[in-house]
Amino acid sequence: MHHTLTKVLVANRGEIAVRIIRACREMNLRTVAVYSECDRTALHVRYADEAYAIGANAPRESYLRIDKLLDVARQSGADAVHPGYGFLAENAGFARACRDAGLTFIGPSPEAIDLMGSKTAARAEAMAAGVPVVPGTKDPLGPDVADAEVARIADEVGYPILIKAVAGGGGKGMRTVTQAADLPGALRAARSEALSSFGDPAIYVERRIMRPRHIEIQLLGDHHGTVVPFVERECSIQRRHQKVVEESPSPVVTPELRRRMAGAAAAVARRVGYSNAGTIEFLLDESGEFFFLEMNTRLQVEHPITELVTSTDLVHWQIRIARGERLDLDPGRMLSPVGHAIECRIYAEDPDHDFLPSPGLVTALRAPAGPGIRRDDGGAVAGVVVPVFYDPLLAKLATWAETRSMAIARMARALDEYDVRGIKTTIPFFRWLLADPDFLAGRIDTTFIDHALAARNGRPFLEVPEDAEDVAAVAVALQAFTRKAPAAPGPAAPDSRWQRAARTEALR
Amino acid sequence: MQLQIDVNGRPRTVDIERKDGLYRVVIDGVERMVDAAAVDGSTFSLICLADGRSSQEVGLSPTGLPGEIAVHMPSGVASVRVLTGAASRFGRGAGAAQAAGTQQVLAPMPGKVVKVLVKPGDEVKARQGLIVVEAMKMENELRSPKDGRVREVLVAEGASVEAGRPLVVVE
Repeated sequence: MHHTLTKVLVANRGEIAVRIIRACREMNLRTVAVYSECDRTALHVRYADEAYAIGANAPRESYLRIDKLLDVARQSGADAVHPGYGFLAENAGFARACRDAGLTFIGPSPEAIDLMGSKTAARAEAMAAGVPVVPGTKDPLGPDVADAEVARIADEVGYPILIKAVAGGGGKGMRTVTQAADLPGALRAARSEALSSFGDPAIYVERRIMRPRHIEIQLLGDHHGTVVPFVERECSIQRRHQKVVEESPSPVVTPELRRRMAGAAAAVARRVGYSNAGTIEFLLDESGEFFFLEMNTRLQVEHPITELVTSTDLVHWQIRIARGERLDLDPGRMLSPVGHAIECRIYAEDPDHDFLPSPGLVTALRAPAGPGIRRDDGGAVAGVVVPVFYDPLLAKLATWAETRSMAIARMARALDEYDVRGIKTTIPFFRWLLADPDFLAGRIDTTFIDHALAARNGRPFLEVPEDAEDVAAVAVALQAFTRKAPAAPGPAAPDSRWQRAARTEALR
Repeated sequence: MQLQIDVNGRPRTVDIERKDGLYRVVIDGVERMVDAAAVDGSTFSLICLADGRSSQEVGLSPTGLPGEIAVHMPSGVASVRVLTGAASRFGRGAGAAQAAGTQQVLAPMPGKVVKVLVKPGDEVKARQGLIVVEAMKMENELRSPKDGRVREVLVAEGASVEAGRPLVVVE
């Protein structure tokens, strides 16, 4: 059963490509990177053993081109492919094409991706495994289903409803509709986004559970029938249905509830013969009841927090499982978190202008460091241009500490250290969020950000105290003064504390 | 050396001179002595002598708008405009006139116009959607800054736009 892998094609870009390349190096596997035109100097290209150009910047012309990726695999002699997340990670056609080409796909089988990638089929599997689901349509509603028919179904399910893309994920192609009058517009938007993002305009309709928490269970399955579920991740902090902060464990999940949710997740995975890494997402309502939401048949963006509280490496395990190895993790330990971890997704977005993307030139950057900090980024440094073509995720910043409150305090400290200039980032938004009394008390649900943002009423995140305005005035005056008389600050300029600290750390 | 600046919208007068190996900085008549050292061309380590040598690191970065500098501090970012000399045209007068009259809605990022929701002559409410621009795989709806009437739509659906390009004029 156990077979050898030697060279892995990483069919992705950015921080996740770097994350996978690092794991491959640690396991003595050679790595092959691919890149679009604007990614020629990206970190994943520089870190890989080999790198191949695959086309223009638009994803459809490069990172989504199965034919080009398979060409690169052949040319480079790769024997395995890791899809990362996003792009082709949940594309069964890609997994199948890899298998047909004799390549090991480091992920689930194409059959499992097909089955669980269809939200309606996945719901049916969950029900068959005895796991409760949110009320909604059983079959996908294709483009041929008239608006009037969707309206009838929506009435039956009961408002408020969610319209979701059957092939979707990450909030794209998803709309909340609170009354029948808003349905036609929402339907048009959802279908058009579903078509442009996933190439499939089919949607489905689901009852919207009010103020739910989003709790998900990571799991691993091997090719010998073993499925191991992990401690939950709480991902209720979402904006536009995109997770922005995740933590593990959840502040409200008891060991007893954890056992039940993990058991439900494992039951679904076993039922569909799932292998490799996957995640089952649940909604947890105010009464403590949970409902199957969907399965993600891939590694998740937020996997580091699970790694931090369980002392495992999920990418190592993905590769070991793909090689046919048996899972020998202690299932009890995977459900017994040590300490607490939290992750903030640092986006190149302007929190003061509706979180619009803020691509462009990074003029200066210093990343946080020190105990309990884990940063996964795609190599953003001063001088790098954040491209407009892809997700504006600049870095994932995770912190670990013995308790939730200390993990949050450590994150706040790390955000204070994080100095990114030239582009706008969501760092000021996180600074505010991490000081919110309800967040600190763990009183959160998936509508938390919407409500908290509304309550701010447009108050800018970049507001600074009055004494800091004085400091800003001093700094600007200094720069103007020293530029006029460049000798002034002169040789006296010592290193900053930060530089000294970084250097000391490097020497350790 | 004297500068007229505007910090987060508040006008300030700053005098700066070298004194006893330190900097004497007077902001609106209030004096402080600062021990300043340049870490690099745009980063300063400041030790203010007033409050028990409080230490701060401050970074400066151009915002792309002429005369405007973003000042990065541990407590956040302040926006500073230098009003003396060539930059003085960014004074308060221009802003006030703009708020009262016609406003342009600019592309905040490079992207593609996927939908134009209004046409010239349409009455619009503040925060009403005007145009949808796709960037980084997300559709972003740009909204009207005020109640008013659409005077001009400057782009067509399908057009690629650069950041800062005027898209719609509302009067």
